[in-house]
Amino acid sequence: MDTVASTTKMNRDEIFDLMKQFITEVIGEEFVEEMDITPESSFTKDLEMDSIEIVSFSEKIKAHFGDQIDFTGWLSSMDLDQLINLNLGMIINYIYECQ
Amino acid sequence: MPVIKVNNRDVHIQELNKGAAETVLMIHGMFSNLSVYYFNIAPILAEHFHVVMYDLKSHGMSERTLHGYDLNSMTDDLNALMEALYLNSVHLAGYSFGGLIALKMALRFPDKVKKLVVIEAPDPKDEKARGIIDDYSREFLEHYVENFTDTTKVKMGKRQMERNHRMYEYLFYQTSIKSDMIAEKDFLDEPQITLLNKETLLLYGADSNCLETGKELNEKIKTSELTPVPGDHNIPIQEPVLIANMINTFFMN
Repeated sequence: MDTVASTTKMNRDEIFDLMKQFITEVIGEEFVEEMDITPESSFTKDLEMDSIEIVSFSEKIKAHFGDQIDFTGWLSSMDLDQLINLNLGMIINYIYECQ
Repeated sequence: MPVIKVNNRDVHIQELNKGAAETVLMIHGMFSNLSVYYFNIAPILAEHFHVVMYDLKSHGMSERTLHGYDLNSMTDDLNALMEALYLNSVHLAGYSFGGLIALKMALRFPDKVKKLVVIEAPDPKDEKARGIIDDYSREFLEHYVENFTDTTKVKMGKRQMERNHRMYEYLFYQTSIKSDMIAEKDFLDEPQITLLNKETLLLYGADSNCLETGKELNEKIKTSELTPVPGDHNIPIQEPVLIANMINTFFMN
């Protein structure tokens, strides 16, 4: 279980690396190897994550950051078009600002 | 990730607002998963209710199972899940095939169901609904994904297409889903439906092919009300906030 509630604020690069780790755990290493994951990568188009994989990803964020970050609440405030256009950089910013 | 053992099988569940006095249990549709509720509908209901979502067998992140896709088995599963979670009675909401499971649950285990929401439940005798299974092919999947999937409107890339293809192949050709569904074709014509005495909210898309089924159910169930929602069969994706608010009001009153 990844329940390391970090007390020190992570910088954007550290958050990016953590997000890459979560994505790898959710979709599998063999797919990640073929991809160039960047902050511009969109969840649905570039990473091809479907909604149940985004549920898994959200669970990992919840397990890691706990109540510090209401990731699901943030996602649920978006409409479908916003969700489709969601990229990694937006998530990194959101987490960075919540810390 | 919350995966619990129910009848010795892994079931993926998600719960929100565990401390609330009353529980809303939500059932997704066939070839879908709990994410149809997770992002929009469930968080709104969780403002007042304990919300439980689960992935049906062989769907989402629940364990694959070869048999038991008939409504008796599906409601046995649900009953066992409620026991595992120590839930005596719940408000129940089901979408599409999940709506049929919700109806069956209220008929078989009336003490366990308070109020009922049925969203876009199809008539299983509808050839078109069952035809999906007979006509399955890779081309069919591409067409189906473009038009009928209730999890996402996003066009699928290669990895997703493969993933879905594997799921459909498994469900269609290895499990008993096909024969189990055909065996249920007369479910909505059974006289017991008219004996249902739960307050029931029927939510159907105004442009849905299933709207007629909604009207028929509304005539059969004396304690029901039918509310058309703008959209087609995909109303939980098209109007999640509206649907959530309607369910909320119905369960609260």
